[in-house]
Amino acid sequence: MSSSREIYGLLLISCAAGYAYLFYSISAPEAGHGTLCLFKNITGIACPSCGSTRAVIALFQGRVYDSLSYNPFGLAIAAIMLISPVWITRDLFLKQESLFARYRQIEKWLVQPAVYLPAIMLVLINWAWNILKGI
Amino acid sequence: MEPHKVDMFVMTNSKFFDSHQIPLIRERLVQSDDTKWIPLQSIQFKDPTISLIVSLLGGAFGIDRFLIGDVGLGIAKLLTCGGLGVWTIVDWFLIMGTTRDKNLDKIHEVLY
Repeated sequence: MSSSREIYGLLLISCAAGYAYLFYSISAPEAGHGTLCLFKNITGIACPSCGSTRAVIALFQGRVYDSLSYNPFGLAIAAIMLISPVWITRDLFLKQESLFARYRQIEKWLVQPAVYLPAIMLVLINWAWNILKGI
Repeated sequence: MEPHKVDMFVMTNSKFFDSHQIPLIRERLVQSDDTKWIPLQSIQFKDPTISLIVSLLGGAFGIDRFLIGDVGLGIAKLLTCGGLGVWTIVDWFLIMGTTRDKNLDKIHEVLY
């Protein structure tokens, strides 16, 4: 089992990397850089989460409809990026592990077939939509 | 448990564990009582080779992490497109060891 330290560290690092990349994408001109996605660079086909950077940027600028039409994953990513640093700081100050407990709870909930089968379907539909959009 | 039973278990399941873990597992099994034998036999271990194949094919979408039971990390990998490809490649090398660690966790759950 991964420990709470590993999960917290991973979350913080990925949030920091996410904010750095977001800042870079906003400050650099849109046409100037291509995608970082290895899958798209190799195969030329969009991956399930392609377009989520644009979705997060659009969401932070208040264009909710644009954000959802880029990639609904952006909503999940933005939520994680906004909530998890605050929650981790709170846990560190109060010396609790409430985020880790919730993480374990969600993991347990997700391994039920009634939950993961629809989730897989949604991800596949979203991926097909991504490819059709040509994002 | 009787040593010959334990030896049989260790021989048939050695590929699921790191070689340095095996003496420890054997020692623990010999010390534990016979009631653990049936639950021990019913554990379904994950094959490190299978997880490596899955990692090579579906690592970019986190399917390898879902397979070994790290659902949270699997979602993280899916949402970030395999950690922008970096995490995918790192996991090609880590996934076999992680799978073995998960198998050890399963034995621990039965024994304690």
